[in-house]
Amino acid sequence: MPAIAASQLVKHFAPDIRAVDGIDLDIPEGQIFGFLGQNGSGKTTTVRMLTTLTKPTSGSASVDGIDIAKDPAAIRRRVGVALQEVGLDELQTGRELLTLQARLFGIDGKEAKRRVNDLLEVVTLTDAADRPLKGYSGGMKRRLDLVCALVNEPRIVFLDEPTTGLDPVTRDAVWQYVQQLNKDRGVTFFLTTQYLEEADRLCHEIAIMDAGKIVAEGTPSALKATIAADAITLSFADGTSALDRAEELLRTFEGAEDVRRVEDSVVLYIRDGASAVAQVVRSLDEAGLSPAQLRLTHPTLDDVFLRATGHYLEPQESPAPGGGADARAH
Amino acid sequence: MRVLIDTLLLTRRALRETVRQPANEAVNAFIPLFFYVVTVGGLGEVASQAFGVEDYKGFQLPVAILQGAAGVASGAGLAMTLDIQSGYFEKLMLTSTPRPAVVLGRMLADGVKAVILTVVIIGLALAYGSGFETGPLGMLLLVAGSGVFALGYSGIGMAIALKTGSPQAANAGFVIFFPLLFLAPTFAPTDVFADWLAAVANVNPVTYILEGQRALIIDGWDAGAILGGTAAIAGICAFTFSLTMMALRGRVA
Repeated sequence: MPAIAASQLVKHFAPDIRAVDGIDLDIPEGQIFGFLGQNGSGKTTTVRMLTTLTKPTSGSASVDGIDIAKDPAAIRRRVGVALQEVGLDELQTGRELLTLQARLFGIDGKEAKRRVNDLLEVVTLTDAADRPLKGYSGGMKRRLDLVCALVNEPRIVFLDEPTTGLDPVTRDAVWQYVQQLNKDRGVTFFLTTQYLEEADRLCHEIAIMDAGKIVAEGTPSALKATIAADAITLSFADGTSALDRAEELLRTFEGAEDVRRVEDSVVLYIRDGASAVAQVVRSLDEAGLSPAQLRLTHPTLDDVFLRATGHYLEPQESPAPGGGADARAH
Repeated sequence: MRVLIDTLLLTRRALRETVRQPANEAVNAFIPLFFYVVTVGGLGEVASQAFGVEDYKGFQLPVAILQGAAGVASGAGLAMTLDIQSGYFEKLMLTSTPRPAVVLGRMLADGVKAVILTVVIIGLALAYGSGFETGPLGMLLLVAGSGVFALGYSGIGMAIALKTGSPQAANAGFVIFFPLLFLAPTFAPTDVFADWLAAVANVNPVTYILEGQRALIIDGWDAGAILGGTAAIAGICAFTFSLTMMALRGRVA
């Protein structure tokens, strides 16, 4: 039984916005599944449907074997969710907030106290636990929000851009914690992200979402292998006409698998790029074109994303929750 | 059972918020007490001759209590809009709590606050020289009625909050109370009203609540008036609860 499954899941918003446009999912238990895409690609709407916050327009989905339309309350008991917007009540202390969250999952007072103490320790918030949240930094709030999603000890956890706006140290700590929970307790994670590095490092499988559709899916290495070619990225000092001419020339270059125009650069995909570089430069030179910059790279998820969507993934940073730096006293 | 437990947990949370930002409740206490003292000071001496009311302090006490309770009852809706805007409402919706508990918790907190405020207002009114015909049992009934009225009345702001998510709109719940109060025998009995105003007052539930409370304070155990007031409060609760549950269903999937 898959942990999460969806068939032709659709969500339309009036008047004519197709936020999610017929996606299929089949995520096995114990997997960290990455949902990669830009803002507005439909990632959050998918999470909201799978976590019963939003009703699908059509299609079906199940979480832990339960149909999201038939028994949403049963799904809420089984899953943990940290949404993109950190929703916290700033008048409560960290301990009060977590305890209330646990009690609202039907956990008795004694057990709630034990879990809250454990979780506060995990995210190193024990010292700040009895302070009102309005004094917490953005990073502290994000960490607290994450463990809120774990207070009911869920088997499946949805994290909607859990590290957006976090500093690198906190981001790394979150990654480690996700990996640890996955490894030690077999927790399945459905993680949306704008960060290729995050998807590459954490996820067993990735789906690339663009304009409401899944445009590529597979393990990070399998996706990179689909490119099977190195990328030679060229830029020119003398502007658009040089780019046009270089693009035209490279399209006829022997062994070229693909040529893409990306902003102020031309990218040539070619097998064994290291051997091809010299010939590329010679050909350009013969055509009177001298590159200002040349970069040779092996296939990355960035290239996969570009191939799948026609544009690079440009993460749009939102400020950390609460706007504060994580450097505030913990 | 689960609804009750979770409602109480969320009531405790709402009351904790009040303790941590008490300024709102200070205003809710000040306004009715100010109007009470000023109205009694301005009309108390002529009330006997003009309206045939001997104990004007007692006559005005239910007005202060209802004003205080309605002020307190605007809290739930406002607080709900803040929960919606901060995203905390969704966090609560993602727990396995029965969803009505999320709104009932805040509404019950308003009821509890109204009980406390009513006790304060009655205490000050007694110290100011008001009588209380039905004694401690009558006081208990009045305090309980005031709490249930606030619990029910908070449903208006709550329903608006759930429907719109706007603090300004949610505050309209309190504003609606003023026409209801002034279209009732607030300053004088309906006997001295113009015909049209008396007709409006006769269909205004606030009239029956005022008359029931006045019976407890001035007249004694007048079963008809007390039952009329109780029925009016029950009617308000039934109406606002239905409204709130409809709005809740509209907001969540």
